[in-house]
Amino acid sequence: MTNREAEQRLRDEAKSLLESAKVDYIVGFADGSLKFHTTPLITRNKDDVDHLVINPFMASNLAKFLTELEGRVGIVAKGCDSRSIVSLVQDNKVSREKVVIVGIPCRGMINLSKIEQLAGKESDEIDDITRQGDKVVVKLDGSEKEIPVKEVLFDHCLACELPTPKEYDLLIDEPIPATPDEEASQAKINKLEELSHHERWRFWQNEFSRCIRCYACRNVCPACYCQRCFVEEAEPQWILSIPKWQDNLIFQIIRNIHLAGRCTDCGECERACPVNIPLRSLSKEMYDLVGELFRFKSGMEIDAAPLLTHYELEEAEDFFR
Amino acid sequence: MNQKISKKDISKLLDELGKEFKVFSPSRESGVTTFAEWDGRDSSFLEWYRNTVISPKAQLQPLYEKMFSFHKDKEGYHLELPPPTDKKLIFGIRPCDAKALTIIDKTFQDTYQDPYYLDKRKNTLLVGLGCTNPYDSCFCTSLGLSPTQSSDVDLMLTDIGDEFLIEAVTDRGIKLIKKTSYLKEATKTDEAKAEEARRQASSKVTRRLDTEDLAKRLLSSFDDQDFWEKVSNKCISCGICTLLCPTCYCFDISDELVKKEGSRFRSGDSCAFPVYTKMPMENPRLEKWRRVRQKVCHKYEFYPMSFEVIACSGCGRCIRLCPVNWDITQILASLPVKVKA
Amino acid sequence: MAQDSEWEPKLVGFLCRWCSYAGADLAGTSRKKYPANIGIIKVPCSGRVDPLFILKALRLGFDGVLVSGCHPGECHYQTGNYRARRKIALTKKFLEYMGIDPRRLQASWISASEGGKFTEVTTQVTKELKEAGPNELFADDK
Repeated sequence: MTNREAEQRLRDEAKSLLESAKVDYIVGFADGSLKFHTTPLITRNKDDVDHLVINPFMASNLAKFLTELEGRVGIVAKGCDSRSIVSLVQDNKVSREKVVIVGIPCRGMINLSKIEQLAGKESDEIDDITRQGDKVVVKLDGSEKEIPVKEVLFDHCLACELPTPKEYDLLIDEPIPATPDEEASQAKINKLEELSHHERWRFWQNEFSRCIRCYACRNVCPACYCQRCFVEEAEPQWILSIPKWQDNLIFQIIRNIHLAGRCTDCGECERACPVNIPLRSLSKEMYDLVGELFRFKSGMEIDAAPLLTHYELEEAEDFFR
Repeated sequence: MNQKISKKDISKLLDELGKEFKVFSPSRESGVTTFAEWDGRDSSFLEWYRNTVISPKAQLQPLYEKMFSFHKDKEGYHLELPPPTDKKLIFGIRPCDAKALTIIDKTFQDTYQDPYYLDKRKNTLLVGLGCTNPYDSCFCTSLGLSPTQSSDVDLMLTDIGDEFLIEAVTDRGIKLIKKTSYLKEATKTDEAKAEEARRQASSKVTRRLDTEDLAKRLLSSFDDQDFWEKVSNKCISCGICTLLCPTCYCFDISDELVKKEGSRFRSGDSCAFPVYTKMPMENPRLEKWRRVRQKVCHKYEFYPMSFEVIACSGCGRCIRLCPVNWDITQILASLPVKVKA
Repeated sequence: MAQDSEWEPKLVGFLCRWCSYAGADLAGTSRKKYPANIGIIKVPCSGRVDPLFILKALRLGFDGVLVSGCHPGECHYQTGNYRARRKIALTKKFLEYMGIDPRRLQASWISASEGGKFTEVTTQVTKELKEAGPNELFADDK
């Protein structure tokens, strides 16, 4: 199906879900107010669903809204989003019966920052960005530039293990098989692993000096649903509320450990960060550790037990005296 | 008579100014634009600078600052105040960010004179730089500003091609010009080029906000819970819009204590956080729609009621940096228009 | 960095109250000598230990953390130490990736009758921390 046909099918399905009262809300993507941006659309109104779109800029992980909305939700889900939904169901945080998953097979989302770097211009100065198969055509200042799509997709999209949701109620388009390029996706992390311990710590100290404690990383994350986050605890106070690099760094370390086995590498934390801290270099590392140590992949099997509620009789013993 | 300076001489100018002031200029680290200390680097920021992610307000109200230190010994408690502020110069501040400072001045000079902010404000000279390439998220013109206005800085630079026209706006500006080298007298052609540049810049600001009766419209929509729930449902309650906004000023105070010594710090706080209004017995803004309503009304209704100026200068950072593309101009445009007679 | 032979590392131990704490107690009543570098915090179960405790200890300036619980299969609460095992393993590897010396987080299974093992473990860990040097991870540079 073309994007236009898929969009129309999506709008029709969403409308019928609302009209037949199968759901109270529809959650999907609409065009943003900035070029090459989408924005979440959360509506009870069947006329609003005409604003639903499918395009290469749907970066948000909509599963985030499931823990806030009361009622049944018809949610548009790319592969990674569906994994977050499954993870929430595993945690008993969202009930499967209350969610209608409208699956959108995904070829990867375009990272605007990568395009801006290659084009040498910011996104509002670019005229058009279109994906044509495995190329992306960028139009600016009257000229066209063709870039291989692998150079402008998000790092987490390059490693995508589930482009088509495994758990869904409707699938809008033909399934797309996974073609992960682990090497390309890990480039930043591999560079870090070449540094010595001391150099790595200094690297993170430097990055976290920029952190302003906006908590966007935590708030965009579907897996961060605690009513009271440890940073808000005053007795005992674990970290200061001041954005000192030490506390910023501890915040992120603990956040990643608390998310172990629930993070699905959707990359939202890194995208949301206003000061470009490479947060995915932390979350992907944890994701890989979970896979390596416990052969667990979050959000893949809806009946699987969450990572930390399960155990094998013999595992990870080499860390213990 | 206005002066002008060649763009090629800007780094020499900054070096010279650096002898008297701590000079801050636009800089970019890991793709994040901010104002950092001029380090004798080249002035290539002139090529990419549109506006920074971290506004220059951070020079007057840093992300965190030490208010005082304390320690206890045999003689009792001792307090140490921070050292006196250096004389600073912010080079390249945009008119929206300069205007924003005058907006928050009113709060810091209200019934209590905030010494931390005012001390830095008094000791900071502003050299403004008019825009040539506004973002599509900028909307300063809707708030009565122009992207090249000089009203809130000491010296104003306008881009006229290979040179900048320089106007001295305040007495401090006049004094500074008198002792600056590399300047030439501006000609009538230069003035005309500057006029044209100003006109062009204003025409490039395309995003609009209707401010007519805005306070009244907000007042009459205050109780419309359906409206506020609808416009707030995609907000994720992070602090990006507030912590990066040049007209936001809320702060939190915390102590760092290790045994018998410590320090008291002030750091940014955000009304978007659920715990902002958390009190022992209740939280009046527990629901997200209340917090979103508060943020919008504070900026466009309550602040004008107290200080006769909208607490927004149209810099557009909130729109550009929001992870879900929540857009204040869209929200305000969709206000139900029921102005009570 | 210059290591003063007089410097002694500060170690905090989170010991589970049913096994490891009792083991430490046994070491004491048996008059076995173990390094005074360790400060013990009793937790009901090793599964109670949140990685927050470990990071907070390092932030406060402790040079190392020891987490100790019942042997797998012997947890007083049946499965607490299995949870601890997963959490500590992940934490240790993650901290190592960040650039923290892996010697600073150590873990052991010590039962209530293993007063001797407690003494050995504490002595060994203290020795390794002495080699690792003082914890300057969170020191302010300026």
